[in-house]
Amino acid sequence: MALLELSDVQVFYDKIEALKGISLSVEAGRIATLVGANGAGKSTTLRAVSGLIHPRAGTIRYDGTTLAGRQPHEITAMGLVQVPEGRRIFGRLTVDENLAMGAFTRHDRRGIAEDRERLLQLFPRLRERLHQVAGTLSGGEQQMVATARALMARPSMLLMDEPSMGLAPMLVEQVFETIRAINADGVTILLVEQNALMALSIADHGYVLESGRIVLSGPGRDLLDDERVRHAYLG
Amino acid sequence: MSAGPLAIPSVAARRGAARMSAVSLALWTVRFLVVALVVAGTIGTILKDRYTTAQWFEFVLFGLTIGSLYAQVALGYTMVYGVLRLINFAHGDIMMCGAFAGYFVATPLENSGFLEVHPVLGMAAILAAGMVVSGVIAVLTERIAYRPFRRVQGFAPLICAFGVSFFLEQTFRGLFGSSVKSYPAPKWEGVEFHWAGLSVPGVDLLVIVLAVAFMAVLYLIVQKTRMGMAMRAVSEDGEAAALMGVDVGKVIVFTFALGGAMAGIAGVFYAFLFKQVYFYMGFTPGIKAFGGAVLGGIGSVPGAMLGGFFLGLVESVGPSLFLDGIGIKAPYELRDVIAYTLMILVLVFRPQGILGEHMAKKRA
Repeated sequence: MALLELSDVQVFYDKIEALKGISLSVEAGRIATLVGANGAGKSTTLRAVSGLIHPRAGTIRYDGTTLAGRQPHEITAMGLVQVPEGRRIFGRLTVDENLAMGAFTRHDRRGIAEDRERLLQLFPRLRERLHQVAGTLSGGEQQMVATARALMARPSMLLMDEPSMGLAPMLVEQVFETIRAINADGVTILLVEQNALMALSIADHGYVLESGRIVLSGPGRDLLDDERVRHAYLG
Repeated sequence: MSAGPLAIPSVAARRGAARMSAVSLALWTVRFLVVALVVAGTIGTILKDRYTTAQWFEFVLFGLTIGSLYAQVALGYTMVYGVLRLINFAHGDIMMCGAFAGYFVATPLENSGFLEVHPVLGMAAILAAGMVVSGVIAVLTERIAYRPFRRVQGFAPLICAFGVSFFLEQTFRGLFGSSVKSYPAPKWEGVEFHWAGLSVPGVDLLVIVLAVAFMAVLYLIVQKTRMGMAMRAVSEDGEAAALMGVDVGKVIVFTFALGGAMAGIAGVFYAFLFKQVYFYMGFTPGIKAFGGAVLGGIGSVPGAMLGGFFLGLVESVGPSLFLDGIGIKAPYELRDVIAYTLMILVLVFRPQGILGEHMAKKRA
């Protein structure tokens, strides 16, 4: 069953059509990826799903209900959580406060404490920096904060926007390993990436976006072998 | 300034550099003159030895008293700026609303003799009235005048804030007249404490202690509560906070209520100190408090408190300390000039204030 389903979604910025009717679906428990060049509309798609911008036409359904007219915080409360591009952690808040912000929609104190403990075991570096202001952390550590913060919401689905951006190659590998581990825990993932090679190799299903349109889709493996994809994105 | 195309010869760049250095030379001259003036004036005053220790103590104490009010009002400017990036120009008038509310409670309490017999209960009732009325009016102004502009960029919200300011002033003038009302003076407020030859008016002490206590409570709310944390998160990145599940609209209302209540308390204290209540009374302290917020670094909560106290001290001690020394007659008349000069100097030389960060720093 599709957990997230977009059909014919159109988004305009003023008079510029950023998404020209996009349809895609993400099956529960899977990893889907949206790859494409800069400006193709990848982030716009995620922003529309999270309710940060409102589509002019088309429908977005999550877990069977339409997201039309819902505010970002309501969508997050439904378990559909976005890790925005550039991480956007709260640099003046401590690491611990960042994690608490992730659990903002939850009220089960014990569950929150358990998840915090579990994530600090997953990212031991964060335990060392728990009371440090997050803005002073390194890029890799900030990515850990962003990921842990999103998981504190105990999401059923994660939207990840360019998690590998600006990270050293070794850390990029780590990020993709983490994504796999999160998915293995049962979290459905829609991953937006410029690093098409890495993204397609871990995705169950991939979509190729080109100037606001989906031009190709199929299982991640198949797209990886596709001549056109290889030519355009993998060099 | 952005770098031009490579083809443009370096002459233009060099001319640009020359112009820059002329400007910075001028700025350094201004800095030097200000420091020289302050130092020369201070030395002059010390040599003249016109003021006694008791007088200096009085200046400092009054500076702290008025500074504690500026600090309270500055908190509202800084918090609203944090979550909305709006200079709420009407915030001084929100303070005036609280002063009026306090006046309308204090007058019957004093006339019936209640305020004389039960000073604590009476003051609590007066402060509560100021807090509630200012808090409610602040929330209403947000709801009616600022919320429609939430997604608008440019000057429209700021201009609307000017409108709200005039609207509040003229409404209070229309309702309660333009005369200056005298605030009741209970007998117990004349109490003075004496210590080592210095006298401390009880009113000043009461205002400073209560203002600091209320600010401590506000600081704890901002630092330790869920709403306070959400407020800090929204100040930093509203969109990211919304993605974490924060209802940004709710946080904004909370911010206006908190800042408004604080201004209401300050309004009651202001009326209590100066014994005057009138429709225009919020304007000057509002501007000064805004200066305090800028001085401390707008957007920073501890900065607003620090900036408010600093401004109060400078305008109270400054005239005698460095204007008297350079031979200016009646230096105290110029205290507002000192306050505004300080504000302009901060904006020119250290726009991020004492504790603030560079506003120009942008996110990816």
